Amino acid sequence: MEINKFERYWLIAVGLTLGAFVAATIVAVAVFGIRLPSPVERVDPQRLDQTIFASPGVRKIADNRYEAVIIAKSWAFNAGPEAGSPPVLRFPRGSQVTFYVTSQDVMHGFQIERHTINLELVPGQIARATANFNRPGKYSIICNHYCGAGHQVMYGTIIIE
Amino acid sequence: MASITLPQAIEVPATPGTLKLVQRERLMIGAHIITAMLALMTGIFMGPFQTFHRSPTFVQYFPNIPVFTYYYQAVTVHGVMNALFFTTFFIVGFSYFVVERSLQRLLKSVRMGWVAYVLMAIGLVIMLITILGSPQQSAVLYTFYPPNIAPALFYIGLVLLVVGSWLAAANIFLTYQGWKREHPNERVPLAVLAIMVNFLMWCVGTIGVAVEILFMLLPASLGIIKTTDPQLARTLFWFFGHPLVYFWLLPAYVSWYTMLPRQAGGKLFSEPLARVAFLMFLIFSVPVGLHHQFSDPGISASSKGIHTLLTMIVSVPSFMTAFNVGAALENAARNRGAKTLFDWPFKQKWGDPIVAAQLSGMLLFIAGGFSGLINASSQLNATIHNTSWVPAHFHTTLGGAVTLTYISILYWLLPAIRGRALFSKPLALAQVFTWLIGMALFGFAMGEAGLNGAPRRALTSQSPYLSPAAAFWLDVTAVSGIILMVSSVLLYINFFGTLFLSRQPAPESEVPIETVSSDRTSPLWLERWGLWFGVLGVLLLIAYGPVFAEVLDFQEGWNILRYMPTSNAPMP
Repeated sequence: MEINKFERYWLIAVGLTLGAFVAATIVAVAVFGIRLPSPVERVDPQRLDQTIFASPGVRKIADNRYEAVIIAKSWAFNAGPEAGSPPVLRFPRGSQVTFYVTSQDVMHGFQIERHTINLELVPGQIARATANFNRPGKYSIICNHYCGAGHQVMYGTIIIE
Repeated sequence: MASITLPQAIEVPATPGTLKLVQRERLMIGAHIITAMLALMTGIFMGPFQTFHRSPTFVQYFPNIPVFTYYYQAVTVHGVMNALFFTTFFIVGFSYFVVERSLQRLLKSVRMGWVAYVLMAIGLVIMLITILGSPQQSAVLYTFYPPNIAPALFYIGLVLLVVGSWLAAANIFLTYQGWKREHPNERVPLAVLAIMVNFLMWCVGTIGVAVEILFMLLPASLGIIKTTDPQLARTLFWFFGHPLVYFWLLPAYVSWYTMLPRQAGGKLFSEPLARVAFLMFLIFSVPVGLHHQFSDPGISASSKGIHTLLTMIVSVPSFMTAFNVGAALENAARNRGAKTLFDWPFKQKWGDPIVAAQLSGMLLFIAGGFSGLINASSQLNATIHNTSWVPAHFHTTLGGAVTLTYISILYWLLPAIRGRALFSKPLALAQVFTWLIGMALFGFAMGEAGLNGAPRRALTSQSPYLSPAAAFWLDVTAVSGIILMVSSVLLYINFFGTLFLSRQPAPESEVPIETVSSDRTSPLWLERWGLWFGVLGVLLLIAYGPVFAEVLDFQEGWNILRYMPTSNAPMP
């Protein structure tokens, strides 16, 4: 089976293109620290009161470092009584926030617009992601996974001051 | 190349070199193609209305948009009918045609062919009744993730479709086997090799969804089991989900590789490499499903990394296709007088709807293919996952390349089936170009909206969080919706016109299909299916073994989540 000269050049160019995509992925992980979600822990969606989700809300754990525990339920995010509904979370500029999110009923999504946080909320699984907020502004938290008739109004807000 | 005419006669004996399509075969292929087009008709017109529903400005001026009042029901109809039923019926009908004509023999069992058709058709009717009859409960979209559970008939409709497609696959395998016995040392025609690859891949991929439906969703819907595991279900679904998209694409590639060169007036550049490309699809289409699940919490980042790499590899045969088919098109243009380096794309038969549709599909596929590479890059995916960027991607691939190529096939196959000329060539040409423009605009605008935070599958006109930029681009999609609606109307004028109004007999044109392989250099072991299945098995073990171990949690015993939400939340 012969391979034409130009086709060989083409295949080399394809290999280089794909290599660049793979390299970019590796750089994103190693240099920029953009991590994909990995298993954290399983929870029973009907017994969230026996887990960290018993009291959702924001906790300060160190200077400029926060933990946010959030429950998604049709069709609202619950980030504790202080955050209100739909929740508004406020962090100072330069904060590092680790989100722990789970769903209490069906599939939901958790996306922070203009950011790298984009989680599927699968009932029974804790989704965890850490975000750095360096630019002040208002960012929407959007449920981006279809969850029923009220899907389009399920959201929250993050304000970086 | 056999010159094949499509007679009105009832029974014409097959003679060496020409297989005349006998009446019963014409009926069978016709039944599949026409049913496919009717399924598409119920799905396609939902599309423009969804763009209207999603556009804030459109809803402001036209608050009572007709047809469907429940948006998510329309999304379900659109996805299920277009992506599952239209495609499967069309692919089965087209594949029967290719296999019969290329191999110059009838299907192994016509009766089995009809049984398969009837099963799929019952599935189609059940599905339509279910979705239309229970808009809320059956609005689970075409991905039907639990714990949202649809009425049992929804899943029964899907089961009938898949079982019918398995029977069709068996029929095609047996037909091939019969041919191979009589021609042990010949290379099978390229088109048939591709159809074989497509159905083998389909049979492997559908195992995932069959397990999901038969052991999880259908029993849950019937109340036999009270619990479910959403993470396991998603993993099984996407084991099926990626072979599904290649199941749609490969018949379009059959047209590009084995029919378009002749239709465009050229010659395929390299048949051996085309064979290699199709076999690569067989091996690499299945072990890549996690690239739909990069954001899932229950699967480790290392497994996702392996699937990223494999997804990059599965783009190689598509790049090979771009070169091979591109070279054939250049050859065609040179025959038509193209002289310079860059004039050959313009010297194509842009006035012939059959060629123009495929070329337009390829143009959209350039955007679709590269946006696919972006989706497959696991970290870039985080910026676009579940945003309207994703439908932008698959409307340029499935809605662009695949659908336009199927329409191109329709424009020569339907006249052959009906025995009448295409109703109107100018209308066909107008349909192709409005589709190209509409889908290009739709893809661009949906992509931009997604980058600005608009989610997919959401009634965004009601969303309080929509940014001004996202709102603007969603308004643009409504404009593209109008263009695509015009294109769809033109398509169905030609469809029904050819069936009922056309009076001229079908031209005695040659059906663009090869009956013997001109390939003398590709090694015969390329057709050793056992070998390829072995390679696929090893890859599946590497790519999916750890994933299922994680999802089922072997370390802690078989930990399947026992959970089901008690009731659906009320309407807001």
